Amino acid sequence: MVARTLRTVKVGFWLGWQIQSNWTDPFLFFIYSLARPLGGTFILVFMFYVVAGGRRGAMLDFFVVGAALWPTVVAALMGLAYGVLEDREHFKTTQYIYTAPIPFWAYLVGRGLASTVIGLPATILTLAVAIGILRIPVALPVDRLPYFLAALTLGVVGLLAVGMAIVGSLFIVSGEAWRMPEAVGQALYLLCGAIFPVTVLPNWLEPVARALPITYWLEAMRRAVLSPDAVRSFPAYSDLAVLGLLAAVSAIWIGAATLAFLGGLTRARQQGILDASSTF
Amino acid sequence: MTLRRIWYAIRGRAYPRTVGAMREPSWIFYDLTLPILGVVAFVFVYRALGAPPRFTGYVIMGGATIAFWMNVMWNMASQFYWEKHQGNLELYMMAPCGLVPILLGMALGGMLATTLRAVVVVAAGVLLFQAPLTVSSWPLFLGIFALGLVALYGLGMFFSSLFLMWGREAWHMVSLLQEPVYLASGFYFPVRALGLWVGLAASLIPITLALDGLRQVMFPTSHPGLIPVLWEVAGLALLAVGFTVLALRMLRYMERISRQEGRLSFRW
Repeated sequence: MVARTLRTVKVGFWLGWQIQSNWTDPFLFFIYSLARPLGGTFILVFMFYVVAGGRRGAMLDFFVVGAALWPTVVAALMGLAYGVLEDREHFKTTQYIYTAPIPFWAYLVGRGLASTVIGLPATILTLAVAIGILRIPVALPVDRLPYFLAALTLGVVGLLAVGMAIVGSLFIVSGEAWRMPEAVGQALYLLCGAIFPVTVLPNWLEPVARALPITYWLEAMRRAVLSPDAVRSFPAYSDLAVLGLLAAVSAIWIGAATLAFLGGLTRARQQGILDASSTF
Repeated sequence: MTLRRIWYAIRGRAYPRTVGAMREPSWIFYDLTLPILGVVAFVFVYRALGAPPRFTGYVIMGGATIAFWMNVMWNMASQFYWEKHQGNLELYMMAPCGLVPILLGMALGGMLATTLRAVVVVAAGVLLFQAPLTVSSWPLFLGIFALGLVALYGLGMFFSSLFLMWGREAWHMVSLLQEPVYLASGFYFPVRALGLWVGLAASLIPITLALDGLRQVMFPTSHPGLIPVLWEVAGLALLAVGFTVLALRMLRYMERISRQEGRLSFRW
Protein backbone atom coordinates (compact mmCIF):
# COMPACT_ATOMS: atom_id res chain seq x y z
CA MET A 1 0.00 0.00 0.00
CA VAL A 2 2.79 2.41 0.95
CA ALA A 3 4.76 1.51 -2.17
CA ARG A 4 1.71 2.06 -4.35
CA THR A 5 1.04 5.41 -2.68
CA LEU A 6 4.60 6.55 -3.22
CA ARG A 7 4.52 5.36 -6.82
CA THR A 8 1.29 7.29 -7.36
CA VAL A 9 2.79 10.45 -5.85
CA LYS A 10 5.76 10.02 -8.17
CA VAL A 11 3.59 9.58 -11.27
CA GLY A 12 1.38 12.51 -10.24
CA PHE A 13 4.52 14.57 -9.79
CA TRP A 14 5.86 13.60 -13.22
CA LEU A 15 2.54 14.35 -14.91
CA GLY A 16 2.21 17.70 -13.15
CA TRP A 17 5.74 18.60 -14.15
CA GLN A 18 5.07 17.74 -17.81
CA ILE A 19 1.78 19.63 -17.96
CA GLN A 20 3.16 22.76 -16.37
CA SER A 21 6.49 22.94 -18.09
CA ASN A 22 6.16 21.54 -21.61
CA TRP A 23 3.86 24.15 -23.08
CA THR A 24 6.79 26.17 -24.34
CA ASP A 25 10.55 26.12 -24.75
CA PRO A 26 12.73 26.18 -21.60
CA PHE A 27 13.83 29.81 -22.10
CA LEU A 28 10.29 31.18 -22.27
CA PHE A 29 9.34 28.95 -19.35
CA PHE A 30 12.22 30.43 -17.35
CA ILE A 31 11.07 33.98 -18.19
CA TYR A 32 7.51 33.07 -17.31
CA SER A 33 8.56 31.56 -13.98
CA LEU A 34 10.50 34.66 -13.06
CA ALA A 35 8.49 37.57 -14.48
CA ARG A 36 5.45 37.33 -12.22
CA PRO A 37 7.27 36.96 -8.89
CA LEU A 38 9.75 39.68 -9.78
CA GLY A 39 6.91 41.92 -10.91
CA GLY A 40 5.13 41.35 -7.59
CA THR A 41 8.31 42.01 -5.63
CA PHE A 42 9.18 45.21 -7.44
CA ILE A 43 5.66 46.57 -6.97
CA LEU A 44 6.32 46.41 -3.22
CA VAL A 45 9.82 47.82 -3.63
CA PHE A 46 8.51 50.85 -5.52
CA MET A 47 5.66 51.30 -3.03
CA PHE A 48 8.27 51.36 -0.31
CA TYR A 49 10.60 53.78 -2.06
CA VAL A 50 7.75 56.14 -3.05
CA VAL A 51 6.83 56.51 0.63
CA ALA A 52 10.35 56.34 2.08
CA GLY A 53 11.76 58.77 -0.45
CA GLY A 54 14.50 56.40 -1.57
CA ARG A 55 15.73 55.53 1.93
CA ARG A 56 16.18 51.89 2.95
CA GLY A 57 14.44 50.32 5.92
CA ALA A 58 13.75 47.08 7.76
CA MET A 59 10.24 46.92 6.34
CA LEU A 60 11.69 46.57 2.84
CA ASP A 61 13.44 43.34 3.89
CA PHE A 62 10.13 42.06 5.25
CA PHE A 63 8.33 42.88 1.98
CA VAL A 64 10.91 41.38 -0.30
CA VAL A 65 11.35 38.07 1.53
CA GLY A 66 7.56 37.65 1.79
CA ALA A 67 7.09 38.49 -1.90
CA ALA A 68 9.86 36.05 -2.81
CA LEU A 69 8.25 33.22 -0.84
CA TRP A 70 4.75 33.90 -2.13
CA PRO A 71 5.19 32.18 -5.55
CA THR A 72 5.83 28.90 -3.71
CA VAL A 73 2.62 29.34 -1.72
CA VAL A 74 0.63 30.09 -4.86
CA ALA A 75 2.25 27.26 -6.79
CA ALA A 76 1.47 24.68 -4.12
CA LEU A 77 -2.16 25.75 -3.68
CA MET A 78 -2.87 26.33 -7.35
CA GLY A 79 -1.06 23.15 -8.40
CA LEU A 80 -3.44 21.02 -6.36
CA ALA A 81 -6.55 22.98 -7.26
CA TYR A 82 -5.84 23.30 -10.96
CA GLY A 83 -4.83 19.63 -11.03
CA VAL A 84 -8.42 18.73 -10.19
CA LEU A 85 -9.91 21.34 -12.51
CA GLU A 86 -7.70 20.56 -15.50
CA ASP A 87 -8.41 16.84 -15.24
CA ARG A 88 -12.12 17.43 -14.86
CA GLU A 89 -12.77 20.30 -17.25
CA HIS A 90 -9.87 20.51 -19.65
CA PHE A 91 -8.45 17.06 -20.27
CA LYS A 92 -11.59 15.24 -19.11
CA THR A 93 -9.58 12.45 -17.51
CA THR A 94 -11.01 12.47 -13.97
CA GLN A 95 -13.09 9.33 -14.48
CA TYR A 96 -10.07 7.36 -15.72
CA ILE A 97 -7.79 8.53 -12.93
CA TYR A 98 -10.40 8.03 -10.23
CA THR A 99 -11.25 4.50 -11.36
CA ALA A 100 -7.58 3.49 -11.68
CA PRO A 101 -6.28 1.29 -8.81
CA ILE A 102 -4.38 4.16 -7.17
CA PRO A 103 -5.07 6.39 -4.16
CA PHE A 104 -6.65 9.45 -5.76
CA TRP A 105 -5.37 11.77 -3.03
CA ALA A 106 -1.79 10.59 -3.56
CA TYR A 107 -2.02 11.43 -7.25
CA LEU A 108 -3.20 14.95 -6.36
CA VAL A 109 -0.44 15.37 -3.78
CA GLY A 110 2.02 14.47 -6.54
CA ARG A 111 0.51 17.16 -8.78
CA GLY A 112 0.74 19.67 -5.94
CA LEU A 113 4.37 18.76 -5.18
CA ALA A 114 5.32 19.22 -8.84
CA SER A 115 3.80 22.65 -8.80
CA THR A 116 5.57 23.51 -5.54
CA VAL A 117 8.92 22.46 -7.00
CA ILE A 118 8.21 24.58 -10.09
CA GLY A 119 7.49 27.54 -7.79
CA LEU A 120 10.73 27.17 -5.79
CA PRO A 121 13.16 28.46 -8.47
CA ALA A 122 11.10 31.65 -8.67
CA THR A 123 11.56 32.08 -4.92
CA ILE A 124 15.29 31.39 -5.12
CA LEU A 125 15.84 33.69 -8.10
CA THR A 126 13.79 36.48 -6.53
CA LEU A 127 15.89 36.19 -3.39
CA ALA A 128 19.02 36.28 -5.57
CA VAL A 129 17.79 39.50 -7.17
CA ALA A 130 16.97 40.84 -3.71
CA ILE A 131 20.52 40.16 -2.52
CA GLY A 132 22.32 41.19 -5.71
CA ILE A 133 20.35 44.26 -6.80
CA LEU A 134 18.31 45.44 -3.83
CA ARG A 135 21.04 44.66 -1.28
CA ILE A 136 18.59 42.97 1.06
CA PRO A 137 20.59 41.26 3.85
CA VAL A 138 19.34 37.74 3.15
CA ALA A 139 21.71 35.05 4.39
CA LEU A 140 21.53 31.42 5.46
CA PRO A 141 24.29 30.71 7.99
CA VAL A 142 25.13 27.04 8.53
CA ASP A 143 23.78 27.07 12.07
CA ARG A 144 20.36 28.21 10.75
CA LEU A 145 20.22 25.46 8.12
CA PRO A 146 18.42 22.85 10.29
CA TYR A 147 15.84 25.47 11.28
CA PHE A 148 15.42 26.48 7.64
CA LEU A 149 15.00 22.88 6.45
CA ALA A 150 12.54 22.07 9.23
CA ALA A 151 10.50 25.18 8.42
CA LEU A 152 10.59 24.43 4.70
CA THR A 153 9.43 20.83 5.16
CA LEU A 154 6.69 21.70 7.62
CA GLY A 155 5.65 24.59 5.43
CA VAL A 156 5.24 22.41 2.34
CA VAL A 157 3.17 19.95 4.39
CA GLY A 158 1.01 22.81 5.68
CA LEU A 159 0.61 24.25 2.19
CA LEU A 160 -0.46 20.90 0.76
CA ALA A 161 -2.94 20.50 3.63
CA VAL A 162 -4.53 23.87 2.86
CA GLY A 163 -4.50 22.93 -0.84
CA MET A 164 -6.27 19.63 -0.17
CA ALA A 165 -8.93 21.45 1.83
CA ILE A 166 -9.54 23.67 -1.21
CA VAL A 167 -9.70 20.57 -3.41
CA GLY A 168 -12.44 19.17 -1.16
CA SER A 169 -14.57 22.23 -1.94
CA LEU A 170 -13.72 22.18 -5.63
CA PHE A 171 -15.27 18.73 -6.01
CA ILE A 172 -18.68 20.26 -5.37
CA VAL A 173 -18.24 23.68 -7.02
CA SER A 174 -18.92 23.90 -10.72
CA GLY A 175 -19.65 27.23 -12.42
CA GLU A 176 -16.96 29.41 -10.89
CA ALA A 177 -14.57 26.64 -9.93
CA TRP A 178 -11.68 28.13 -11.91
CA ARG A 179 -11.85 31.32 -9.95
CA MET A 180 -12.09 29.81 -6.50
CA PRO A 181 -8.38 28.97 -6.05
CA GLU A 182 -7.54 32.53 -7.05
CA ALA A 183 -10.07 33.85 -4.54
CA VAL A 184 -8.51 31.77 -1.78
CA GLY A 185 -5.04 32.92 -2.86
CA GLN A 186 -6.09 36.58 -2.63
CA ALA A 187 -7.60 36.04 0.79
CA LEU A 188 -4.45 34.33 2.03
CA TYR A 189 -2.29 37.11 0.56
CA LEU A 190 -4.19 39.50 2.76
CA LEU A 191 -4.38 37.33 5.86
CA CYS A 192 -1.12 35.48 6.33
CA GLY A 193 1.41 38.26 6.64
CA ALA A 194 2.90 37.80 3.19
CA ILE A 195 3.54 41.48 2.56
CA PHE A 196 2.92 43.15 5.91
CA PRO A 197 3.16 42.03 9.54
CA VAL A 198 -0.08 40.46 10.79
CA THR A 199 -0.02 42.99 13.62
CA VAL A 200 -1.17 45.57 11.04
CA LEU A 201 -4.42 43.62 10.54
CA PRO A 202 -7.50 44.71 12.50
CA ASN A 203 -7.84 42.87 15.81
CA TRP A 204 -10.79 40.78 14.62
CA LEU A 205 -8.78 39.43 11.65
CA GLU A 206 -5.66 38.45 13.58
CA PRO A 207 -7.12 35.16 14.93
CA VAL A 208 -7.84 34.11 11.33
CA ALA A 209 -4.22 34.81 10.41
CA ARG A 210 -3.05 32.80 13.42
CA ALA A 211 -5.11 29.79 12.32
CA LEU A 212 -3.21 29.46 9.02
CA PRO A 213 0.00 27.42 8.71
CA ILE A 214 1.21 29.76 5.96
CA THR A 215 1.41 32.64 8.46
CA TYR A 216 3.85 30.69 10.64
CA TRP A 217 5.73 29.33 7.63
CA LEU A 218 6.42 32.81 6.26
CA GLU A 219 7.45 33.99 9.72
CA ALA A 220 9.76 30.99 10.23
CA MET A 221 11.36 31.41 6.82
CA ARG A 222 11.97 35.11 7.47
CA ARG A 223 13.58 34.24 10.81
CA ALA A 224 15.81 31.71 9.03
CA VAL A 225 17.16 34.09 6.41
CA LEU A 226 16.92 37.58 7.94
CA SER A 227 18.83 39.02 10.89
CA PRO A 228 17.27 38.86 14.40
CA ASP A 229 16.49 42.60 14.39
CA ALA A 230 14.26 42.31 11.27
CA VAL A 231 10.57 43.24 11.41
CA ARG A 232 8.49 40.30 12.64
CA SER A 233 4.84 39.28 12.63
CA PHE A 234 5.14 37.65 16.07
CA PRO A 235 7.86 39.54 17.92
CA ALA A 236 6.90 37.95 21.26
CA TYR A 237 7.50 34.36 20.08
CA SER A 238 10.86 32.61 19.99
CA ASP A 239 12.07 30.90 16.80
CA LEU A 240 11.28 27.46 18.22
CA ALA A 241 7.83 28.55 19.31
CA VAL A 242 7.09 29.68 15.72
CA LEU A 243 8.29 26.31 14.42
CA GLY A 244 6.17 24.49 17.02
CA LEU A 245 3.11 26.52 16.08
CA LEU A 246 3.76 25.79 12.39
CA ALA A 247 3.85 22.05 13.17
CA ALA A 248 0.75 22.17 15.37
CA VAL A 249 -1.36 24.26 12.99
CA SER A 250 -0.25 22.14 10.02
CA ALA A 251 -1.33 18.99 11.90
CA ILE A 252 -4.75 20.51 12.53
CA TRP A 253 -5.03 21.44 8.87
CA ILE A 254 -4.10 17.89 7.81
CA GLY A 255 -7.09 16.67 9.83
CA ALA A 256 -9.34 19.38 8.40
CA ALA A 257 -8.12 18.70 4.86
CA THR A 258 -8.80 14.97 5.23
CA LEU A 259 -12.36 15.69 6.33
CA ALA A 260 -12.88 18.28 3.57
CA PHE A 261 -11.41 16.01 0.91
CA LEU A 262 -13.43 12.95 1.90
CA GLY A 263 -16.58 14.98 2.48
CA GLY A 264 -16.30 16.78 -0.87
CA LEU A 265 -15.50 13.59 -2.72
CA THR A 266 -18.42 11.68 -1.18
CA ARG A 267 -20.83 14.53 -1.88
CA ALA A 268 -19.63 14.85 -5.50
CA ARG A 269 -20.07 11.11 -6.03
CA GLN A 270 -23.54 11.18 -4.49
CA GLN A 271 -24.53 14.03 -6.81
CA GLY A 272 -22.80 12.45 -9.80
CA ILE A 273 -20.72 15.55 -10.49
CA LEU A 274 -17.21 14.28 -9.79
CA ASP A 275 -16.32 14.37 -13.49
CA ALA A 276 -19.02 16.81 -14.62
CA SER A 277 -17.55 19.52 -16.79
CA SER A 278 -19.01 22.89 -15.88
CA THR A 279 -17.53 24.56 -18.97
CA PHE A 280 -15.26 27.57 -18.65
CA MET B 1 -29.77 44.93 -43.32
CA THR B 2 -26.05 44.51 -42.73
CA LEU B 3 -26.01 47.18 -40.05
CA ARG B 4 -28.97 45.60 -38.32
CA ARG B 5 -27.22 42.20 -38.40
CA ILE B 6 -24.09 43.73 -36.93
CA TRP B 7 -26.11 45.42 -34.18
CA TYR B 8 -27.90 42.15 -33.37
CA ALA B 9 -24.54 40.37 -33.15
CA ILE B 10 -23.11 43.04 -30.87
CA ARG B 11 -26.18 43.03 -28.68
CA GLY B 12 -26.33 39.24 -28.62
CA ARG B 13 -22.70 38.85 -27.56
CA ALA B 14 -22.97 41.60 -24.97
CA TYR B 15 -26.07 39.98 -23.46
CA PRO B 16 -24.33 37.13 -21.56
CA ARG B 17 -21.86 39.61 -20.06
CA THR B 18 -24.50 41.94 -18.72
CA VAL B 19 -27.97 40.46 -18.34
CA GLY B 20 -26.83 36.82 -18.53
CA ALA B 21 -24.27 37.29 -15.78
CA MET B 22 -27.08 38.09 -13.35
CA ARG B 23 -28.22 34.48 -13.57
CA GLU B 24 -24.99 33.26 -11.94
CA PRO B 25 -24.78 35.48 -8.85
CA SER B 26 -21.47 33.95 -7.77
CA TRP B 27 -19.75 36.68 -9.84
CA ILE B 28 -20.73 39.09 -7.08
CA PHE B 29 -18.33 37.26 -4.81
CA TYR B 30 -15.56 36.62 -7.33
CA ASP B 31 -15.66 39.90 -9.26
CA LEU B 32 -16.21 42.19 -6.32
CA THR B 33 -14.63 40.48 -3.36
CA LEU B 34 -11.40 39.53 -5.14
CA PRO B 35 -10.41 43.05 -6.23
CA ILE B 36 -11.45 44.39 -2.82
CA LEU B 37 -9.21 41.82 -1.06
CA GLY B 38 -6.31 42.89 -3.27
CA VAL B 39 -7.00 46.53 -2.51
CA VAL B 40 -7.18 45.87 1.22
CA ALA B 41 -3.84 44.00 1.18
CA PHE B 42 -2.03 46.88 -0.51
CA VAL B 43 -3.74 49.49 1.67
CA PHE B 44 -2.31 47.64 4.68
CA VAL B 45 1.13 47.75 3.06
CA TYR B 46 0.93 51.54 2.89
CA ARG B 47 -0.41 51.62 6.45
CA ALA B 48 2.53 49.52 7.60
CA LEU B 49 4.76 52.17 6.02
CA GLY B 50 2.85 55.06 7.60
CA ALA B 51 2.07 56.57 4.16
CA PRO B 52 -0.17 59.67 3.74
CA PRO B 53 -3.89 59.01 2.99
CA ARG B 54 -3.60 59.81 -0.73
CA PHE B 55 -1.69 56.54 -1.19
CA THR B 56 -4.80 54.70 -0.05
CA GLY B 57 -6.58 56.50 -2.89
CA TYR B 58 -3.90 55.31 -5.32
CA VAL B 59 -4.44 51.71 -4.26
CA ILE B 60 -8.23 51.96 -4.55
CA MET B 61 -7.92 53.40 -8.07
CA GLY B 62 -5.42 50.67 -8.95
CA GLY B 63 -7.71 47.97 -7.58
CA ALA B 64 -10.63 49.24 -9.63
CA THR B 65 -8.45 49.36 -12.73
CA ILE B 66 -7.34 45.78 -12.23
CA ALA B 67 -10.96 44.75 -12.83
CA PHE B 68 -10.70 46.24 -16.34
CA TRP B 69 -7.32 44.71 -17.07
CA MET B 70 -8.48 41.26 -15.93
CA ASN B 71 -11.65 41.59 -17.98
CA VAL B 72 -9.71 42.57 -21.09
CA MET B 73 -7.16 39.81 -20.67
CA TRP B 74 -9.36 36.91 -19.55
CA ASN B 75 -12.61 37.83 -21.28
CA MET B 76 -11.42 39.57 -24.43
CA ALA B 77 -7.91 38.54 -25.35
CA SER B 78 -8.16 34.89 -24.40
CA GLN B 79 -11.87 34.52 -25.09
CA PHE B 80 -11.36 32.84 -28.46
CA TYR B 81 -9.16 30.28 -26.71
CA TRP B 82 -12.05 29.40 -24.38
CA GLU B 83 -14.44 29.40 -27.32
CA LYS B 84 -12.23 26.85 -29.07
CA HIS B 85 -12.60 24.54 -26.09
CA GLN B 86 -16.34 24.95 -25.94
CA GLY B 87 -16.69 24.43 -29.68
CA ASN B 88 -18.18 27.88 -30.26
CA LEU B 89 -15.37 29.29 -32.35
CA GLU B 90 -16.34 27.32 -35.44
CA LEU B 91 -19.92 28.59 -35.03
CA TYR B 92 -18.66 32.18 -34.77
CA MET B 93 -16.63 31.73 -37.92
CA MET B 94 -19.64 30.45 -39.84
CA ALA B 95 -22.02 33.16 -38.58
CA PRO B 96 -22.84 35.74 -41.28
CA CYS B 97 -21.90 38.70 -39.07
CA GLY B 98 -18.15 37.99 -38.94
CA LEU B 99 -15.86 38.05 -35.91
CA VAL B 100 -15.61 41.82 -35.46
CA PRO B 101 -19.19 42.45 -34.24
CA ILE B 102 -18.80 39.51 -31.89
CA LEU B 103 -15.65 41.06 -30.45
CA LEU B 104 -17.37 44.44 -30.22
CA GLY B 105 -20.23 42.79 -28.35
CA MET B 106 -17.79 41.20 -25.92
CA ALA B 107 -16.10 44.57 -25.44
CA LEU B 108 -19.35 46.46 -24.89
CA GLY B 109 -20.70 43.90 -22.44
CA GLY B 110 -17.35 43.72 -20.67
CA MET B 111 -17.09 47.51 -20.37
CA LEU B 112 -20.56 47.87 -18.88
CA ALA B 113 -20.25 44.99 -16.44
CA THR B 114 -16.72 45.88 -15.38
CA THR B 115 -17.53 49.57 -14.91
CA LEU B 116 -20.24 48.54 -12.48
CA ARG B 117 -17.76 46.34 -10.62
CA ALA B 118 -15.09 49.05 -10.57
CA VAL B 119 -17.59 51.52 -9.11
CA VAL B 120 -18.40 49.05 -6.33
CA VAL B 121 -14.68 48.49 -5.62
CA VAL B 122 -14.07 52.25 -5.38
CA ALA B 123 -17.15 52.76 -3.20
CA ALA B 124 -16.13 49.90 -0.89
CA GLY B 125 -12.57 51.25 -0.68
CA VAL B 126 -13.75 54.76 0.14
CA LEU B 127 -16.19 53.50 2.76
CA LEU B 128 -13.74 51.07 4.37
CA PHE B 129 -10.74 53.38 4.47
CA GLN B 130 -12.22 56.89 4.20
CA ALA B 131 -9.90 57.50 1.26
CA PRO B 132 -9.83 61.07 -0.03
CA LEU B 133 -11.15 60.70 -3.59
CA THR B 134 -12.42 63.90 -5.18
CA VAL B 135 -12.60 64.86 -8.84
CA SER B 136 -11.28 68.28 -9.84
CA SER B 137 -12.73 68.21 -13.39
CA TRP B 138 -15.54 65.81 -14.30
CA PRO B 139 -15.34 66.42 -18.10
CA LEU B 140 -11.63 65.60 -18.05
CA PHE B 141 -12.19 62.61 -15.78
CA LEU B 142 -14.93 61.17 -18.00
CA GLY B 143 -12.95 61.91 -21.17
CA ILE B 144 -9.87 60.08 -19.89
CA PHE B 145 -12.02 57.21 -18.66
CA ALA B 146 -13.84 56.82 -22.00
CA LEU B 147 -10.70 57.08 -24.13
CA GLY B 148 -8.90 54.69 -21.81
CA LEU B 149 -11.69 52.14 -22.19
CA VAL B 150 -11.70 52.33 -25.99
CA ALA B 151 -7.91 52.03 -26.15
CA LEU B 152 -7.84 49.20 -23.64
CA TYR B 153 -10.54 47.15 -25.33
CA GLY B 154 -8.86 47.85 -28.68
CA LEU B 155 -5.75 46.28 -27.19
CA GLY B 156 -7.89 43.35 -26.04
CA MET B 157 -9.21 42.86 -29.58
CA PHE B 158 -5.66 43.01 -30.90
CA PHE B 159 -4.56 40.32 -28.43
CA SER B 160 -7.58 38.17 -29.23
CA SER B 161 -6.38 37.80 -32.80
CA LEU B 162 -3.03 36.53 -31.50
CA PHE B 163 -4.81 34.10 -29.23
CA LEU B 164 -6.58 32.60 -32.24
CA MET B 165 -3.23 31.01 -33.02
CA TRP B 166 -2.34 29.87 -29.54
CA GLY B 167 -3.29 26.80 -27.57
CA ARG B 168 -2.14 26.26 -24.00
CA GLU B 169 0.22 29.25 -24.33
CA ALA B 170 -2.82 31.52 -24.13
CA TRP B 171 -3.48 30.66 -20.49
CA HIS B 172 0.13 31.21 -19.49
CA MET B 173 0.54 34.41 -21.49
CA VAL B 174 -2.47 35.96 -19.79
CA SER B 175 -1.02 34.93 -16.43
CA LEU B 176 2.30 36.44 -17.42
CA LEU B 177 0.67 39.78 -18.21
CA GLN B 178 -0.47 40.39 -14.65
CA GLU B 179 2.10 41.46 -12.04
CA PRO B 180 4.60 42.80 -14.64
CA VAL B 181 1.82 44.98 -16.08
CA TYR B 182 0.69 46.09 -12.60
CA LEU B 183 4.29 47.14 -12.02
CA ALA B 184 4.92 48.86 -15.36
CA SER B 185 1.59 50.71 -15.34
CA GLY B 186 1.90 51.88 -11.74
CA PHE B 187 -1.29 50.31 -10.45
CA TYR B 188 -0.30 50.85 -6.82
CA PHE B 189 2.12 53.79 -6.98
CA PRO B 190 2.69 56.80 -9.24
CA VAL B 191 4.17 55.52 -12.51
CA ARG B 192 6.57 58.49 -12.45
CA ALA B 193 8.50 56.57 -9.76
CA LEU B 194 9.73 54.25 -12.52
CA GLY B 195 11.37 57.18 -14.29
CA LEU B 196 10.11 59.26 -17.23
CA TRP B 197 11.38 57.02 -20.01
CA VAL B 198 10.25 53.74 -18.47
CA GLY B 199 6.88 55.37 -17.80
CA LEU B 200 6.62 56.54 -21.38
CA ALA B 201 7.53 53.07 -22.67
CA ALA B 202 4.89 51.58 -20.38
CA SER B 203 2.38 54.04 -21.83
CA LEU B 204 1.94 51.66 -24.76
CA ILE B 205 -0.37 49.90 -22.30
CA PRO B 206 -3.36 52.28 -22.29
CA ILE B 207 -3.98 51.77 -18.58
CA THR B 208 -0.71 53.55 -17.75
CA LEU B 209 -1.79 56.86 -19.25
CA ALA B 210 -5.42 56.47 -18.19
CA LEU B 211 -4.56 55.72 -14.57
CA ASP B 212 -1.99 58.50 -14.34
CA GLY B 213 -4.40 60.94 -16.00
CA LEU B 214 -7.21 60.02 -13.61
CA ARG B 215 -4.87 60.41 -10.64
CA GLN B 216 -3.81 63.85 -11.88
CA VAL B 217 -7.48 64.84 -12.01
CA MET B 218 -8.16 63.40 -8.57
CA PHE B 219 -5.01 64.61 -6.80
CA PRO B 220 -4.15 67.72 -8.83
CA THR B 221 -1.77 69.24 -6.29
CA SER B 222 -0.02 66.21 -4.83
CA HIS B 223 0.23 63.61 -7.62
CA PRO B 224 3.53 63.56 -9.50
CA GLY B 225 2.16 63.10 -13.04
CA LEU B 226 4.13 61.38 -15.76
CA ILE B 227 3.43 64.07 -18.39
CA PRO B 228 0.86 66.94 -18.49
CA VAL B 229 -2.67 65.57 -18.37
CA LEU B 230 -3.72 66.97 -21.76
CA TRP B 231 -0.80 65.18 -23.39
CA GLU B 232 -2.01 62.03 -21.76
CA VAL B 233 -5.47 62.61 -23.24
CA ALA B 234 -3.89 63.03 -26.68
CA GLY B 235 -1.82 59.88 -26.16
CA LEU B 236 -4.91 57.90 -25.17
CA ALA B 237 -6.78 59.13 -28.25
CA LEU B 238 -3.87 58.01 -30.41
CA LEU B 239 -3.77 54.60 -28.72
CA ALA B 240 -7.55 54.22 -29.06
CA VAL B 241 -7.45 54.78 -32.82
CA GLY B 242 -4.21 52.87 -33.30
CA PHE B 243 -5.20 49.74 -31.40
CA THR B 244 -8.65 49.59 -32.99
CA VAL B 245 -7.26 49.82 -36.54
CA LEU B 246 -4.44 47.43 -35.71
CA ALA B 247 -6.87 44.98 -34.13
CA LEU B 248 -9.11 44.89 -37.19
CA ARG B 249 -6.20 44.33 -39.57
CA MET B 250 -4.55 41.78 -37.31
CA LEU B 251 -7.77 39.87 -36.83
CA ARG B 252 -8.22 39.46 -40.57
CA TYR B 253 -4.60 38.40 -41.00
CA MET B 254 -4.54 35.93 -38.12
CA GLU B 255 -7.87 34.46 -39.12
CA ARG B 256 -6.46 33.70 -42.57
CA ILE B 257 -3.27 32.18 -41.12
CA SER B 258 -5.26 30.11 -38.62
CA ARG B 259 -7.46 28.73 -41.40
CA GLN B 260 -4.44 27.93 -43.54
CA GLU B 261 -2.63 26.14 -40.73
CA GLY B 262 -5.76 24.43 -39.46
CA ARG B 263 -5.44 25.84 -35.95
CA LEU B 264 -8.95 27.15 -35.53
CA SER B 265 -10.20 23.99 -33.88
CA PHE B 266 -6.80 22.93 -32.56
CA ARG B 267 -7.53 22.81 -28.84
CA TRP B 268 -4.28 22.09 -27.13
